[in-house]
Amino acid sequence: MTITPVNLSSSVADDEPPVSLWRDAWHRLVRNKLAVAGLAVVVLLAFVAVFGPWLTPYDFLTQDLNARNQAPSLAHLFGTDDLGRDVFSRVVYGTRTAFVVAIVVTTIAVAIGVTLGAMAGFFGGLFDRTVMWFTDMTMSVPNLLLVVVINASLKTPITAWMEARYQATLNPFYRETIWVDFLLVFGSMALISWPPYARLVRAQVLSIRGRPYVTAARALGLTNRLILMRYIVPNAIGPLIVSVSAGLGTAMVLESAFSFLGVGVNPPTPSWGNMISDGLRVWQHYPHLLAAPAAVLGLATVAFSFLGDGLNDALNPRGSK
Amino acid sequence: MAAEPLIKVENLVKHFVVRLGAFGERGATVYAVDDVNFDIFAGETLSLVGESGCGKSTTGFTLLNLQKATSGKVIFQGENIVSLDEKRMRPYRRELQIVFQDPYSTLNPRMTIGEVVGEPILFHKLATKAELPERVSRLLGDVGLPARFAQRYPHELSGGQRQRVAIARALACQPKFIVCDEAISALDVSVQAQIINLLLDLQEKYGLTYLFIAHDLAVVRHISDRVGVMYLGRLAELATREQLFSNPLHPYTKALLSAVPEADPELEKTRQRQILVGDVPSPLSPPAGCRFHTRCPIAMDKCRAVVPEWREVVTGHHVACHAVDMGTAG
Amino acid sequence: MTAPEIQKPLLDVRGLTIEIETRRGPAVIVDGINLTVGKGETVGVVGESGCGKSLTMLSLVRLLPNKIKVKGGTAEFAGRDLLRMSKSELRQVRGGKIGFVFQDPMTSLNPVMRIGDQLCEPLIYHRSMNKAEARTRAIELLRLVGIPGPEQRITAYPHELSGGMRQRVMIAMGLACDPELLIADEPTTALDVTIQAQIVDLVKDLRKKLNMSVVWITHDLALIAGLVDRVAVLYAGTVVEDAPVGELFARPTHPYTRGLLASIPKLSDERASRLSSIGGTPPEPGRRPKGCPFAPRCALAEAVCHERVPALEPVVGSNGHRVACFVAQRQMMEAA
Ligand SMILES: Nc1ncnc2c1ncn2[C@@H]1O[C@H](COP(=O)(O)OP(=O)(O)OP(=O)(O)O)[C@@H](O)[C@H]1O
Ligand SMILES: Nc1ncnc2c1ncn2[C@@H]1O[C@H](COP(=O)(O)OP(=O)(O)O)[C@@H](O)[C@H]1O
Ligand code: SF4
Ligand code: SF4
Ligand SMILES: [Mg+2]
Ligand SMILES: [Mg+2]
Repeated sequence: MTITPVNLSSSVADDEPPVSLWRDAWHRLVRNKLAVAGLAVVVLLAFVAVFGPWLTPYDFLTQDLNARNQAPSLAHLFGTDDLGRDVFSRVVYGTRTAFVVAIVVTTIAVAIGVTLGAMAGFFGGLFDRTVMWFTDMTMSVPNLLLVVVINASLKTPITAWMEARYQATLNPFYRETIWVDFLLVFGSMALISWPPYARLVRAQVLSIRGRPYVTAARALGLTNRLILMRYIVPNAIGPLIVSVSAGLGTAMVLESAFSFLGVGVNPPTPSWGNMISDGLRVWQHYPHLLAAPAAVLGLATVAFSFLGDGLNDALNPRGSK
Repeated sequence: MAAEPLIKVENLVKHFVVRLGAFGERGATVYAVDDVNFDIFAGETLSLVGESGCGKSTTGFTLLNLQKATSGKVIFQGENIVSLDEKRMRPYRRELQIVFQDPYSTLNPRMTIGEVVGEPILFHKLATKAELPERVSRLLGDVGLPARFAQRYPHELSGGQRQRVAIARALACQPKFIVCDEAISALDVSVQAQIINLLLDLQEKYGLTYLFIAHDLAVVRHISDRVGVMYLGRLAELATREQLFSNPLHPYTKALLSAVPEADPELEKTRQRQILVGDVPSPLSPPAGCRFHTRCPIAMDKCRAVVPEWREVVTGHHVACHAVDMGTAG
Repeated sequence: MTAPEIQKPLLDVRGLTIEIETRRGPAVIVDGINLTVGKGETVGVVGESGCGKSLTMLSLVRLLPNKIKVKGGTAEFAGRDLLRMSKSELRQVRGGKIGFVFQDPMTSLNPVMRIGDQLCEPLIYHRSMNKAEARTRAIELLRLVGIPGPEQRITAYPHELSGGMRQRVMIAMGLACDPELLIADEPTTALDVTIQAQIVDLVKDLRKKLNMSVVWITHDLALIAGLVDRVAVLYAGTVVEDAPVGELFARPTHPYTRGLLASIPKLSDERASRLSSIGGTPPEPGRRPKGCPFAPRCALAEAVCHERVPALEPVVGSNGHRVACFVAQRQMMEAA
């Protein structure tokens, strides 16, 4: 019995190396100038966030009352604020705050969203309906309201508990109010950020679950775990990457917005948001106090949005024109 | 055909409960497969034909226990496999395989061809990791693809090549039985013939049994030993290839055969066509009695009330029609 | 020979070339197609998926998608070049003199509009009818295409109709303004054989009644055998053979046409005999071979086939049979 081999003349050329979809997407991404610019800025900001303390000439808390409200100069690139603190150092530290918040919040939100969404999509039934009901409920509450309520109701008891611990142990850690801020910001932002991930992943899983290759895997007798890990998750992850990139940007904006409104990271810990808030009060006299953090925030937002668009075009080439 | 069948399908039923209305407030039942009986013999090609939505794929899926049967039995190696849970089903999975229609979604786009074909071999421990590359290239050779394709990804292949990979994946666990669900329908005419030949070659080489689901009657006539005609969830007629194509008994089979165009202008000029009026009724509310009565040119009062019995009129020729019972058809 | 009007075809496409923008630069997808449709004639355009059937037809009414452009050629319709006429003139042609029926009736009908309104729109626009006249005509059209109870059906939405019914509505829309030419792009591919038979029957009946020309695009050779007067076989964006239907099936000349016909299972075949098949697959747009587009898959290919593109030329001693193949032309010459 001979089986006629396929005549390959007009399909894959022998000289071309195999290209996985991931590599294909990467090629598409690096051809997109805006996306590359966005990626470069994001990498730069991430670098600043990690190595910030070693890059700045001053400590962000050091006050120099002789050099208050100075305009930008060589000594102080972005000038100084009303307490004589170096604005450049504070912006750099603010980058750190923004990245820490964005990464922690997005990680928590993605972990919750992906787990719930994937399970809801894969198992369906009552579990699915419960999760989706819960998701819709969470999404229907206005973000800001939720955060304000959480802050108002939890801040006092937590602060009181920390103070009590301090009295009992005299451990200075419990005097650091920054942890309370972070805890509340992480918690409340994660709470409002996971539902879109859950919805996205559920929709992905639902559509992938019915594809012939998944049915073929079931017909081969593969286990549910193997099917989820090798067939469903890798195919659901593209849109998730796009959404995470956009989500990181959104989280930074949210953190700034909350800090601006006084329900996020509070002074003296620098955040772009509370710096903008401070700068806004005196912007007519000292515009640099507003301009520096606002410009960096704007830059970060634009960078993440370009990167997100680029990833979307690269990972879902047919979805875009 | 006196031999014991490889697979025995007895009173197989599959209903889907769907939600209708804007808020899914109304439940309704889709009678996708209703009381279907047939045997599949080792080494044969049994085809299922019928219009879209008549339940061919659902029969294939429930038969493989990929969808839970509502009731009925599928006996394979003495076991009613549709009653088994996934774990107890696993040993049988290896022997019962499926190939799908759409070459573009049949392969996991994130896996190389080598991984696609190798996975079932490793999972069912049919070879060691060291033997794997050799096994994979032999399988690819079996379906007419060069071994170097193992490094390729599905999106780098043409539709026909992907369909070959899907066949290689099904062959990988050395099955006895393969459901081909419209496996050639999405392919170009010139490539279809390649895949049909391949399926025939493999059947001869490995003694495979096929359940061949298709709507192209010319192809079905070419490759089948026996053919079953489905209408709205029920089998209307089941017979050998010769019986069915030269002496169709059921009015629906007759209409179906007469609707198939032949690639011959002279013949087409003189041919008398019997064109059915109307559409297939909705499987949500199939007609009572004989489900074909709304379109049947010879429907009688009895047809509207009584479900015709599924019986063997001549050895190997099954049909469900009152007119045939009374000798008024044909 | 004396009356040029009678001779002149209704549609005369010459050297139509269409290109697409790709990552690797422009790629030719339709390469110099020649196609004529006479008055009252039904022409079948046959070819495998991706060979450029739909794009050719869309280019005639200048509805090509973004990034796809006509690069050359002419398409005369009733003496006017469709590819160069003004926008306003073109609007009169679209849905007026040329009617279209597409493959997928679900995506070609507007899902949020009642079918009656969709039918009335071109009538009001092209025929300047008022609402009441358009409604009467719409009902008439639905009756013409065999939809029972058209007075009630006119208020239905597309999703309330079956696939076959929707395709009938699409045909009614194509016919709305009494077109001189109806272009049907795989109108039955998404339908079942019994419904396909209904639609084929309907179109056969209508073209006689309305005396129109029809272009029927399909990949199914068997389907057109009993339906058309003439067949143009497309391969990779070129017409490789063009002949009266009886002639094409009796004496297929191009190696590709022969291969296609041979790969269809026939009544007389023994069970499970191997079909003759064409090896390989059609070339992708960016990877067209330099010479004859069929050369990489052709068993008869000679050196010249890889170098030069054969032109579509009349077969010696035949009536209206043209083929684009060096070897076939030579063989016919030797036989004559
Ligand atoms: N998961 C499902 N839920 C509800 N109804 C279903 C489901 N799967 C199939 N059906 C219905 O069951 C009937 C039979 O479907 P099936 O897919 O077996 O048809 P088929 O003959 O294979 O048609 P086709 O040629 O279109 O594939 C159809 O009416 C279909 O709509
Ligand atoms: N919107 C589009 N974008 C990119 N390529 C297209 C598009 N439409 C068609 N093509 C390509 O053009 C070629 C011809 O397409 P088409 O005319 O639709 O083929 P057919 O109708 O014969 O199946 C194919 O290679 C197809 O992939
Ligand atoms: S049982 Fe009656 S309605 Fe059904 S196919 Fe036979 S004659 Fe027709
Ligand atoms: S020109 Fe040459 S390659 Fe092309 S079809 Fe004819 S013989 Fe084959
Ligand atoms: Mg099906
Ligand atoms: Mg098309």
